[in-house]
Amino acid sequence: MSSEPLAAARPSARLSPFKRWENFTVFSIFVGFIVIIVGLQLILTGGSKFPTFISPVNLLNILQQVGVPGIISVGMTVVMISGGIDLSVGMLASLVSIIVASGISVWHIGTVAAITVGVLSAVVLETLLGLIISRAKVEPFIITLGGMITFQGIALLLSNSREVIMQGELDFFKSNLIEGAKDPVSHLNLIIPPYVILFFLVAVVAGIALNRTKYGRRIYAVGTNPEAAYLAGINVKNMRLSVYVIIGFLVGIGAVMLLARINTGIITLGQGLEIDTIAMVVIGGTALRGGKGNILGTIIGVFFLGSIGNAMNMLRLPSEVQFVAKGLVVIIAVSAGYVSTRVSEILSRRSERAA
Amino acid sequence: MNEILRLTDISKTFPGVRALQGISFDLEEGEVHCLCGENGAGKSTLIKILSGAYQPDEGGQILFDGRPVQLTPHMAQQMGIQTIYQEHIVFETLSIVENIFTGAEIQKGIFLDKTEMRRRTVEVLDYLKSTLTPDMKMGELSSGGQKTVEIAKGLIFRRRVIILDEPTSAFSAAEIDHLLQIIETVKKSGIGIIYISHHLEEVFKIADRVTVLRDGRKVSEYARSELTKDRLIKDMVGRDPSTFYKRERVPIGDVLFEARGVWGNGARNVSFTLRRGEILGIAGMVGSGRSELMNVLFGSAPLDRGEIRIKGRVSRHATPRHSIRDRMCFITEDRQNTGLFLPQTIASNVISANLVNLRRFFMPPAADVRTADGFVQTLNIKTRDSRTRVLNLSGGNQQKVVLAKWFNTNGEIFIFDEPTRGIDVGSKQEIYQIMVDLLKQGKAIIMVSSDMPEVISMSDRVLVMKDGEVTAELGSDQVSEENILMHSIGDKAI
Repeated sequence: MSSEPLAAARPSARLSPFKRWENFTVFSIFVGFIVIIVGLQLILTGGSKFPTFISPVNLLNILQQVGVPGIISVGMTVVMISGGIDLSVGMLASLVSIIVASGISVWHIGTVAAITVGVLSAVVLETLLGLIISRAKVEPFIITLGGMITFQGIALLLSNSREVIMQGELDFFKSNLIEGAKDPVSHLNLIIPPYVILFFLVAVVAGIALNRTKYGRRIYAVGTNPEAAYLAGINVKNMRLSVYVIIGFLVGIGAVMLLARINTGIITLGQGLEIDTIAMVVIGGTALRGGKGNILGTIIGVFFLGSIGNAMNMLRLPSEVQFVAKGLVVIIAVSAGYVSTRVSEILSRRSERAA
Repeated sequence: MNEILRLTDISKTFPGVRALQGISFDLEEGEVHCLCGENGAGKSTLIKILSGAYQPDEGGQILFDGRPVQLTPHMAQQMGIQTIYQEHIVFETLSIVENIFTGAEIQKGIFLDKTEMRRRTVEVLDYLKSTLTPDMKMGELSSGGQKTVEIAKGLIFRRRVIILDEPTSAFSAAEIDHLLQIIETVKKSGIGIIYISHHLEEVFKIADRVTVLRDGRKVSEYARSELTKDRLIKDMVGRDPSTFYKRERVPIGDVLFEARGVWGNGARNVSFTLRRGEILGIAGMVGSGRSELMNVLFGSAPLDRGEIRIKGRVSRHATPRHSIRDRMCFITEDRQNTGLFLPQTIASNVISANLVNLRRFFMPPAADVRTADGFVQTLNIKTRDSRTRVLNLSGGNQQKVVLAKWFNTNGEIFIFDEPTRGIDVGSKQEIYQIMVDLLKQGKAIIMVSSDMPEVISMSDRVLVMKDGEVTAELGSDQVSEENILMHSIGDKAI
């Protein structure tokens, strides 16, 4: 106690980077990964060629691949910070794609109306799940698992288990915003479609909402300790509901973008999307138990998971290998995050005790 | 009768606290030995030594069957000492048989011998004249039923000593009678029973001997024939009031808060008023329904009947949201689980309760930190800065973060539930001073406390509770340990 002034004067420079920046661990692993891939490419080509992995055209290529999962990952981050989870996003995306494609090609209600109906259905369905989860206090894992199976069934019924082909009515969403730009290295066309921009937009809005608004404070509070949150006057039920409304909207938007890329409403469109987005979010450091995580981490997770498959291609490894690599990245990133928090906690306890 | 257990000169010191000092205690076969004392007299510490959870200080001796032993949890179990705690730790979804035998299954080869386990359970339940059947799920049983199962377990595994810590705290009158009968039966099989209860009527019914503890010392020991209620109470009280905290008095103002005929969450017909500049102490034994009442007053448990008035106006009082808007604050008993967001920063914690009152939508994190920094300074919270996570703070500093969280809402009516539990002496004094400062600002405090000196030194008036009811309202001239204790453990029949 007598050494208190010393403790106050303790330089914050002594804080480890792990503590100063939450995302430091995963960021350093990601950088390490990039360095290894680039290094391998340099070795394989004997340093004669610019490593294609970090060429502008390839980077934009990765962006196109992760744009839609990225949008949904942002929603998943919000859900998981509040202490929930959503397994239904993949099948919901498939369902929305079938609704929108049918609206355009089968029911002929017009493109805008079809998109509106599709997005609204996603919001309504997720809201229903959210109502059950927040009111009945049941495990979100189970309820959204049920949602996933139900959505799959509805999608198959709607499409008679067939695909719904469109005539490119949604092509605007995959148009190139930087038409004519060339890669200085490979001289290939550079492409940035609108949904990539949308991903960044959604991420920025969610980042601000989580970090700089009253809503964000409440989400973290509910995720950390729902009982204390209730006693602090937070409407825990409505908070839990709100995150499913948000993810419903983002899945709706994301599904329309996916549909634009493929031009066909089909059940396989969103298959495995829930696994990918949850993996992206947890790689980014968001905790399954809630209360911990941020959008920047998720963005890193999105790029990290998205670039694995691409890197494997660059190295001409068989595509089967990428599953192993993706899985290992999830395991390494999450356990490294745990290890580094433990280490920094022990260090800070020690320094506080010394004070 | 044979002696099972003898403790001589047992002491236990925690950093800064002498929890037990030179205790002697013994237990014979087939006797019920009751332990009496106020909250914090050292009963729990003694039990924890017997169950091996705590190691006593050097110097004392524990004899089991006349042989000196060192009690670890494992040893205690080996020798057949079973402790039945107030809070049940049971497998709710499993049956009675499964609960009894989990961890000590009877097997036939590699398979469970379910018939045998069932047979033994039925045998013991019959012996205890219980109406329970072996396949009932543990979670469906009442508190009394669960205790019966625990006792049955003690018989099945031929325990020598059964310790019952406040067994009847959630019991109906019929359940209490039934439990006492079961204990009489168990006694006959030669098991020694240590029984701890705040309810003197139970003690009078079943005790063969009574030991009274106070402030970690043994005050007296009585055989059944020597017992009188006056003697017991006299022995349990008797602290020197001159050692109590001396609090500054503040002029008492208008009525700020009023409860009229409040029922709900176990509280029965509670009425009182609270004035500005006043601390209303709520005394009573653990389990008397005080925290439950506080939850009703704050809107975090349903108000079944009655009304709550704030500044003369009836309050809607449906959820904590409404209460916070009515400028109420609730410093809960269990700060880690219900008061704080432990993994979050001090800043996030401090702003959390005031979110209800905020009109603005955007909240730059830097502004949170500035707000919190102000409280870190005024409340003297010892930390590097308000970006420190709360789980890294000491108990006293965590409690100050809880206070900061409520001061930030600009509340006027404070409920302090056990304001200084688990807090070191220095921080205690600081928190008392902070409470007095609140009174000077014209605010008012309802304070639940099991710490008798705290109740006596801090309160302007004291309500004593028992079984969810207010049994007495004591003005400052009537507040004494003896009076409070009398009303908190008095007979059920009036």
